[in-house]
Amino acid sequence: MKKENLSLKEIFLKDERYRISYYFSLEELVLSLKKVGIISPPLVTFRGERCILVSGWKRVLACLKISLSPLPVFVIEEENDLKTFLTAFYENLATRKFSLLEKAEILNKLKKFGEEEKRIVRFYMPLLNIPSTLSLLDSYLIFSQLEPEVKRVIHEKNMSFPSVELLAGFTPQERKLLLPLLLPLSQNKRKKTLEDLQEISKKNDVSAEKILKTKEILDILGTKRLSPLQKADNIRLLLKKKRYPALSTWTDSFNSLLKRLQWPREIEINPSPFFEEEDFFVKFNFKDQEELQASLHKLQELASREELSEIFKFK
Amino acid sequence: MFNSKYFPQRVYIEKGSLNFPLTQRVLKNIGQVPTEVLEDTTSLLENMRISRDVIEQGKKVLLLTSQRGEFIKSCPCTPGYIGCNYYIINLDLNCPLDCSYCILQHYLSNPLITVNVNLEDLWSQLDVFLKRNKERILRIGTGELADSLALDHLTEHSINLISYFRDKSNAIFELKTKTVNINNVLKIKPARNIVIAWSLNSSKIAQEEEIGAPPVIERINAASKVSERGFLVGFHFDPLIRYPEWEKDYREVIKKMLETVDPTGIAWISLGSLRFPPFLKAIIKKRFPGTKIIYDELIKGKDGKLRYFKPLRIELYKKIIGYIRDFGGEQIPLYFCMENEEVWRDVMGWVPRGKENLEAYLSFPLDQSKIKLIY
Repeated sequence: MKKENLSLKEIFLKDERYRISYYFSLEELVLSLKKVGIISPPLVTFRGERCILVSGWKRVLACLKISLSPLPVFVIEEENDLKTFLTAFYENLATRKFSLLEKAEILNKLKKFGEEEKRIVRFYMPLLNIPSTLSLLDSYLIFSQLEPEVKRVIHEKNMSFPSVELLAGFTPQERKLLLPLLLPLSQNKRKKTLEDLQEISKKNDVSAEKILKTKEILDILGTKRLSPLQKADNIRLLLKKKRYPALSTWTDSFNSLLKRLQWPREIEINPSPFFEEEDFFVKFNFKDQEELQASLHKLQELASREELSEIFKFK
Repeated sequence: MFNSKYFPQRVYIEKGSLNFPLTQRVLKNIGQVPTEVLEDTTSLLENMRISRDVIEQGKKVLLLTSQRGEFIKSCPCTPGYIGCNYYIINLDLNCPLDCSYCILQHYLSNPLITVNVNLEDLWSQLDVFLKRNKERILRIGTGELADSLALDHLTEHSINLISYFRDKSNAIFELKTKTVNINNVLKIKPARNIVIAWSLNSSKIAQEEEIGAPPVIERINAASKVSERGFLVGFHFDPLIRYPEWEKDYREVIKKMLETVDPTGIAWISLGSLRFPPFLKAIIKKRFPGTKIIYDELIKGKDGKLRYFKPLRIELYKKIIGYIRDFGGEQIPLYFCMENEEVWRDVMGWVPRGKENLEAYLSFPLDQSKIKLIY
């Protein structure tokens, strides 16, 4: 490997064969380059007349942004793509953690450059903290083929493996419809929404696209007074009701009964999770004897009402 | 008659287990199958685990090894639900059948069909165990981590186990199966404390979800033969699974069961609804992409397992019990596997006072007056 100074123009950036990182912010690096320049030179190699970037995409793109040229590089004199890629891989492995999509990209490149499947599974996947199974390799290879806009959301939202796996199970068109719904939701709600949609689709043999284009969902999406978060949340709840119709009916009936009983807001009453047990739980706060007595009085009054017996049907 | 006996593609024998009589018996019964003796199984298991479907791969291989710990374990049941004090003998591990809902897909770190060949250790452990519990009537079986009869043409376990248990006055021994591998059972003399039990389901579930298992009608016919031979038989409707038309299908199978098998020769029928740890769902999705059984209303129970929303379970059980009663099974002891007090009370009308109470309820086969044996 020899060190050289290269003009930015000499690097053929359209060739991304070794690239594993996308969707990064350059702001901090630009600031650093302005202050101290390039301390760790990128790696390049030559394929024919062209100079190809092997490692250091972030650094080179930041240089490009501030027109910092020429820049120091290390030139790898290796003609084999796999060996060249491995230089970049090990350089990165030693210095940082890979994101889920970067891992997917690494595994994809290893396969593309001719590394044997079994060696990828046995040797490289443990280095990436991925359990050694072929089925997981398959999943990551699928992730590497997702559409760029989907990858961007996965990266920006730091989506978990189970969520990405669920998302990858939809068609490209379905993913396109899903993205705006997923963006405002938290990690758990996002996963649950994807799971409910997938399972409703499988149970009823209806495509997710058809479900996402039902009137109920389109009505929510078309309601102008709702924020993106409210729309996403309403759709999440709608899917949950469709996925768990009996449980939802019970929950709604329980809540209606509380309304009819004019159950006081300051006294919380809950059935056991999923109505699995017979017990109910009551919770209230008090600051002094007076407040305690007031709440107990209310409870006593509620307990003496005949309609309360209806609550015990929910067990 | 369904006749698809399991033969592995390859047999591995752990070096220390080569000279056991059971190893030699299996090798004699198995015929021409490539065999290899291993120092240890570490690299075999490592290679196996890499494959795309480790469970499917594991079923192709038979491992003959030795049980280094206890053969007899208390059935773990599940926290927060009523147990029945059952004991399991871990003689074989894993199963050549491939049921979509099978807990073993998640349960075993070893995916290979495994036979523990050190039977002498089992007999001595059983001697101690039965002696230590002589004041109780123990229910004990081999069908929890394996199908009790799936390998019987190779191991002949049924002959050995029934012979061992037949004169044990404080034990009821159960062989639990989905197969019709009953040739050995039919060869031996019945005993009043031996129960041969079948896991049954609706024909649709058997056909679509219990891959490799014989049709339900074949299982019922096998039970009938065993019953006619003089053995008590048992049935396990577990897991009961809801789908459109489940009522009609279960009614049909229960009618057939009670028309074919003498109800007075049925030791018990257990009922359990579909349940599994959440982690298994991902495995089922991957291994059985066509199945719909995991997409019903399964909620997280007290034990963290996914199970039907309680009102759905209660409806399911009430219907099934109604069919059993309607078709002449009023006197057959029924019990739930892993159900809670509320469901017991609502469906059965009584709640066992702890697992000892349920153990006593199910120990009636040892009340000789109720049994008519045909020798």
